[in-house]
Amino acid sequence: MSQRMRNALVDTTLVGSVVLLLIFFYAPIATLVAFSFTSSRVLTLPIESFSLQWYGELFNKPDFFPAVLNSATVAAVSTIFATVLGTAGAVAWIRYRFRLQGAFRGLTFAPLLFPQLLLGVVMLLWFSVLGSWLGFSTGLVTVIIGHVVYITPFALVVVAVQVYGFDETLEDAARDAGASGWEVFREITFPLLWPGIFSAVIFSFLLSWGNFYVSYSLAGTARTLPIFVYSGIAVGSSPIYPALATVNLVPALLLVIVAEVLRRRALKRQTSGISTS
Amino acid sequence: MRIESKSWNDPVLVATVAPLAVVMVAFFLVPLLMTAVLTFQTTQYYRLVWTWDLKIWTEVFSKPHYWTIMLRTVTMALICVVLTVLIAFPVAYALATRLKTFKTQIQILIIFAFLTDAVLKTFGWILILDKNGVANWLLMHLGFPPEMLNLLFTPTGTMIGMVYNLVAYPIFTIYLSLVRIDRDLVLAAYDAGASRFRTFFEVTLPLSRPGLYSGAVLVFVLSLGAFLEPKVLGGGTSPLASELIRQSFETRVNWPLGAALTMVLITTGALMLAACAAFALRRTATTRRPA
Amino acid sequence: MASPIIDASGIVKDYGAARALHGVSLQIGTGEFVALVGPSGCGKTTLLKILAGFEEPTDGRLEIQGKDMRGVPAASRPTRMVFQKLALFPHKTVAENIGFSLKLQKVSKTETDSRIRTMLDLMHLKPDYLERYPAQLSGGEQQRVALARALVSQPSVLLLDEPMSALDAKLKKSLQAELKKLHRELGTSFVLVTHDLEEAMMLADRICVMRSGHVVQVGTPADIYYRPANMFVAGFIGETNFLPVTATAATDGGMAVTSPLVVSGKTTIASEHVSPSLSAKGTALLVRPETIRFVKGDAAPGEWLLDGHVEEYFIKGASTQYRIRVQGLDAAVIMDLPGSIVLPAAVGEAVRIGFDPVQAFLLSE
Repeated sequence: MSQRMRNALVDTTLVGSVVLLLIFFYAPIATLVAFSFTSSRVLTLPIESFSLQWYGELFNKPDFFPAVLNSATVAAVSTIFATVLGTAGAVAWIRYRFRLQGAFRGLTFAPLLFPQLLLGVVMLLWFSVLGSWLGFSTGLVTVIIGHVVYITPFALVVVAVQVYGFDETLEDAARDAGASGWEVFREITFPLLWPGIFSAVIFSFLLSWGNFYVSYSLAGTARTLPIFVYSGIAVGSSPIYPALATVNLVPALLLVIVAEVLRRRALKRQTSGISTS
Repeated sequence: MRIESKSWNDPVLVATVAPLAVVMVAFFLVPLLMTAVLTFQTTQYYRLVWTWDLKIWTEVFSKPHYWTIMLRTVTMALICVVLTVLIAFPVAYALATRLKTFKTQIQILIIFAFLTDAVLKTFGWILILDKNGVANWLLMHLGFPPEMLNLLFTPTGTMIGMVYNLVAYPIFTIYLSLVRIDRDLVLAAYDAGASRFRTFFEVTLPLSRPGLYSGAVLVFVLSLGAFLEPKVLGGGTSPLASELIRQSFETRVNWPLGAALTMVLITTGALMLAACAAFALRRTATTRRPA
Repeated sequence: MASPIIDASGIVKDYGAARALHGVSLQIGTGEFVALVGPSGCGKTTLLKILAGFEEPTDGRLEIQGKDMRGVPAASRPTRMVFQKLALFPHKTVAENIGFSLKLQKVSKTETDSRIRTMLDLMHLKPDYLERYPAQLSGGEQQRVALARALVSQPSVLLLDEPMSALDAKLKKSLQAELKKLHRELGTSFVLVTHDLEEAMMLADRICVMRSGHVVQVGTPADIYYRPANMFVAGFIGETNFLPVTATAATDGGMAVTSPLVVSGKTTIASEHVSPSLSAKGTALLVRPETIRFVKGDAAPGEWLLDGHVEEYFIKGASTQYRIRVQGLDAAVIMDLPGSIVLPAAVGEAVRIGFDPVQAFLLSE
């Protein structure tokens, strides 16, 4: 085989692997979206006729909207905590040196290496013991705490990448221009870390929104959307779940699109050169 | 990069470090210690009794049933590591070295799928793998015999789900270590007369080891806790450790037992992590880059 | 100096156990252009950062405009800095970058606009650049924006931390000329840190040469070039020759010098050609490469002669450099001749070279 053919073969294999991966990734998602429009009760191909009836049925389920509300509350609150804690943690990880930093790093990174179910179980045991002492039971609050523990390390890593690339002379330059500590933060540090923080917000929200394991362990009788789905499909497949999956994709999709548009706009003005010497 | 040394008297340090440290200690470290403590307690009539004995540990070690399931869990995790790394490497390599134009879009597609609700995606796989599902329908229309695949509610079904839910991790870690490789090193290898294949095995692959190791470890420890896949796609026919833990909590209401099984699983993951870290450290010590 | 704008005395700076500055004293006059030069690690940037207020001195006293600067943050000092890598805010437009300090001082919009305009004119920047981001400008334009940003608040002292080190040679030359012109027009004191002594000689009124945390010499460019304090300063300015000699005090205040390498002669060096900090260690004559000639035929009166052979030559265009290997000297003797299409000697050729010792400068290590 000639060198050129061999190279072409390698290129094709590599590009092909990406295409196959994307097909693999999107096969179940595409399947769900397709089946959400069927008019049949059995979810098998071919889809004979289209209808929106399962969306109607989904919205009429009494426990659907409470689950959405719970998921949204949990995701919003956990995102705020995870992003703030993760940002502070990232600065401490990268920019500071202090005593016990090794312990701090280990402690804040370890949850990333924990299977979510075990993380949930370990916290469940603690909350149960604590609850039996103090007289409370698990619910949305414990879910939020669990999500914060699980998600903060992700947020920390995402922001840390941004902190790592940060040029501190810019802060000196602002101080030189007469800026106070708070003004330096407002005018320079925060805007320059914002892309990382923004990614962390999106990452955190979606991780929390789609989280099953931690919520499942810690929710008690409360139901978030993934628990709602799990308890449904554990009984048997129902045509409302493809509809739910499709509905569920929309906010995530919007979020990702908005993020991408913002990122591009920032990138365009900060790196593209109109005139170069 | 300027590094600031800070003392604990500095309120700025306390303000940045303390809240996160407190959360992690109170809701991660202490629960972990509590789990260890609980393994030495017992239950009576579904109530926890504070006793301090080894009853639970004797039970765990004396029942082969638990160890069969543990062994199955570790085996599945190892298979999952091999499969995910084999899939992830070419993808990460293609992203790092080819596909310049659509790179960002593909990355977003991967992240988007990764962040989509796992329960729903797993449900999607039911629809694909079912006897009357999408996969068999497509195969039939391609001329294969009807109902050729029978994957739902089998260990293979479980594995497909595990690989599906975890393969993004090694893609991320391998990609990150590949893009950090200095392009000049690759050019230097070409310059020395190495072929593209030779260069890949002599330069690129060894230098991407950190990403390979960390991706593999991540997949291993995370697959030890797989629950959704064996339950939903495996149909509970060959349960993994997570199912055992769930049963001891929900069905048997035996917290000490669940805690002990959890500790066994955590220890297995930690040992694997330590072994891998030791191995990686030895390798990097001998192949340290010139300063 | 009547009343210096900057008066630093005995400045010491320690980083942990390492001492970066060993009691540096320096005065800078109002409207003066002073360059701090020295090899990397000599403490010049540390000194500049202490002047700017980014570092607190461990010991010593710093006054700016007669006021003690202890505990005064950078923001409250009458100094502004142009950073080595410029440190233009990437997320702010050119206008926002230049107007940043005015915004912090809450200067009115119209006043801000007019001062930004003035800066644009001063720096020869086009008005349509105002809405661009730094990344959309060329290296030279970024340089001008950085200068404009520092000058817009009308500082008494402008501190420049090797701002031109990243530019290509041609752009550097034109910006150096502009900087000199700017200094003359504004009357602001400039303090420039550079490792390039040639740049310092071109721009500065006075040069402060530093080495491992000490000030070695402060003087005008002519002082530094023609009357260097020691071999370090003399060698820093570029390639030159040191001819080891024995020196003894002469009756008229000069020094009588001899060298065994020289074909003939003993000369008395006048006192103004002797370094004031002369010590016994490594006494040598500084012989600039451009003062040496090939001697074919008779020597000039009083001329010192050396015999050697041509090791290598380099055609530099305006000049031709010869390196002559002389028996008994460690380093080859360097000589710069005016460029010529006819080469005076070939590689390996035995040659005799000569110079006028009266024009040479006596110094020591």
